[in-house]
Amino acid sequence: MSSSDIFDVLNIKQKSKSPIHGSSPLPSAGSSTNLTPTGSRVSKPQVTGMQRELYNLLGDNQPPVMVQPSSKFKEKLTSKAKPSPWTYAEFKPSGKNNIRLRHWVKGSKDLLGPEPQESDFAKFSVRLSLPEFTEEEYELFMKSGETKNTEKEANANKLDLQDNAEKPPMSNVSERESNVEDEKEKNKEESAVEESGTENGEVGNSGKVEAEEWTYEEVAYLFTLCREYDLRWFVIDDRYLFDGKSRPLEDLKAKFYEVSKKYFKFKDNSDVKLESLNFSKDKELERKKYLQRLLSRSAAEIAEEEALIIESRKFEMAAKKTLSEREALLRLLDSPISTQNVSQYLSSQGISQLYNNLLSDRTRKRKNDNGVPENPWMKQQQHFAQQRQQLQQTQERKNIETHSQDGQASPRKTKKQKQELQTAMKRKSEAAYAETLLKDFSAEERKALGVVTHGEKLSPGVYLRSTRIPTYKPALQNRVVATLHELGLPVRPAMPSFEVVQRQEELLKKIVTLLDMKKHIDKLEAEKSITK
Amino acid sequence: MPPGISKRIKTLSVSRPIIYGNTAKKMGEIKPPNAPAEHTHLWTIFVRGPNNEDISYYVKKVVFKLHDTYNNPTRIIEAPPFELTETGWGEFDINVKIYFHDEANEKNLNFYHRLRLHPYEAGQSKDDEISSIFFDEVVFNEPNESFFKILMTKPGNLLPSNKSDKVIFSQQLEREELDRINAGILEVDKQIDELKKSFNEKITQKQEK
Repeated sequence: MSSSDIFDVLNIKQKSKSPIHGSSPLPSAGSSTNLTPTGSRVSKPQVTGMQRELYNLLGDNQPPVMVQPSSKFKEKLTSKAKPSPWTYAEFKPSGKNNIRLRHWVKGSKDLLGPEPQESDFAKFSVRLSLPEFTEEEYELFMKSGETKNTEKEANANKLDLQDNAEKPPMSNVSERESNVEDEKEKNKEESAVEESGTENGEVGNSGKVEAEEWTYEEVAYLFTLCREYDLRWFVIDDRYLFDGKSRPLEDLKAKFYEVSKKYFKFKDNSDVKLESLNFSKDKELERKKYLQRLLSRSAAEIAEEEALIIESRKFEMAAKKTLSEREALLRLLDSPISTQNVSQYLSSQGISQLYNNLLSDRTRKRKNDNGVPENPWMKQQQHFAQQRQQLQQTQERKNIETHSQDGQASPRKTKKQKQELQTAMKRKSEAAYAETLLKDFSAEERKALGVVTHGEKLSPGVYLRSTRIPTYKPALQNRVVATLHELGLPVRPAMPSFEVVQRQEELLKKIVTLLDMKKHIDKLEAEKSITK
Repeated sequence: MPPGISKRIKTLSVSRPIIYGNTAKKMGEIKPPNAPAEHTHLWTIFVRGPNNEDISYYVKKVVFKLHDTYNNPTRIIEAPPFELTETGWGEFDINVKIYFHDEANEKNLNFYHRLRLHPYEAGQSKDDEISSIFFDEVVFNEPNESFFKILMTKPGNLLPSNKSDKVIFSQQLEREELDRINAGILEVDKQIDELKKSFNEKITQKQEK
């Protein structure tokens, strides 16, 4: 598409167009621009900006009338319905009864009645119920936790204690736990910031304060605070002032968890909640320290960290890439059998080992090449031995066949025979397996799928069919090719499909016999001429 | 990492027909914008199915190695159609490498295709589109099981039944090919018979003497 086309489509006049090129594309462009102005001129004052472009895209097919919204303002409300009444009514706050609160409620005053009603949100105002205990109980269950010996004693006391003590509902405990979790999550960052300011001072103090024993009064005070502020630890920590001294937040938490754990353990040793009452002060301190360090990093440090992460990603990617490339390469190698798993060579150690192997292989081969020429007799003998072996094998195979036909195995078999039988059996089972895989397919389907069970021992791998057309020694090959030409056939069939290649092989075999015979006849002729 | 090499299915082979080759056309005055001035032909080398069907379910990528004088002579085509269009002025051997999917755990196929730009046969004018296209079959001998399953998903060995203008390689051509070879075999048989006869005659002649 040339630029003039685009201009044409967009309906933009071209002024700076050279007259030489204008011969073919311009007339159409000119005519269209000549046609449109009448249409566009009418609409132009109304449309602007993007809209104008869009209308221009329509070209000559512009609609005759353009509907345009005249006003940019919102339409006025035309609803005539009465507004529903709302009342600024008093309501009962849950829990605290000494304050008066009001809120807007839908509905008229008459509908709501004179009595202040419960807020709809009252049901969400749930207070935690924390364990309550007297000083005696406190002493009792604190001791029972400390020494195992007193356990039995404590158990004895437990019965009457259970009668006396009001059991807090267990369901609330779980709620409290979740609350605590939420609180922790919410305040994580906050706490770190807060702690960062106070911690330095507190850590120094903590050793001193920790040493001070917790009296029952202080624990009771802690629990009242906890109850009052719904375990909002930062508020508790803020308000905490017992005997004119405060304790660090972690200490408060640790004490609270310790006491309540012992309390519940004393009440019921197999309580499910016990496990969630673990609190490690050291870990909490450590966590806050880490958070503080994380949040107090400088911009430069953050940038450096990011850069490092990106760098490491890059390394990982590169490593992955080299690994996959290496794998693809290794698969191409002949020396370690490529059909095996190549993963063992993927590490750098593996690859150096492979390299050494290959190197030694090569040197070994070269030694053979360069070394003393082999004894031709030895070679011949080896050849003979091989031939003999082959002959034997074929004979044995025949034997086996006859044996299996007879249905009785010969009582004594040589080792070789056994081996032969084994491989034959293996081959058979393999072929059977291949057949079972294909049993669902009919002959036609097999042809469509291109599956053939050849039942032979061919080297596994992929090849092009045309490469398996047999070739012969150069001299013979030349004559075979010449014969093929005489027959008007190409050396490489145009369509080397399975059947074609099979036929081609047969043809080549015949040609070779033909050539062989020709040679013999020539010899005969020559002999004859000599004898004459 | 390959997903554990699965077992090869012995004594079984699966074949898939492919067509490879090139088409070429002489460029007139209109040339692609970035073609060098000395380039005279626009050619396309391709590897595809005989009916132009999708072969990407077993072919991962095809790499064409062009003559070194080209920029980036190694061209990797990783998605169908596996073809490459270039301009040029000379014929050369293009090394074609077909890579199979990782599941196959097969080596790549490696062969050469002589790029043809000029007509050799009489009757073709210089401006016709020239094509040099070959048929072949990719044979997976003893494929491993996972790849075998992939191959079995499509009847990829089907050839179009009849020759047409678009389809050259078809069952019809295969039959013609078979007939030609069979005729050749008959011819050779005949010659062998004749030779046998003359051979026997000569032997008897010799013995008579």
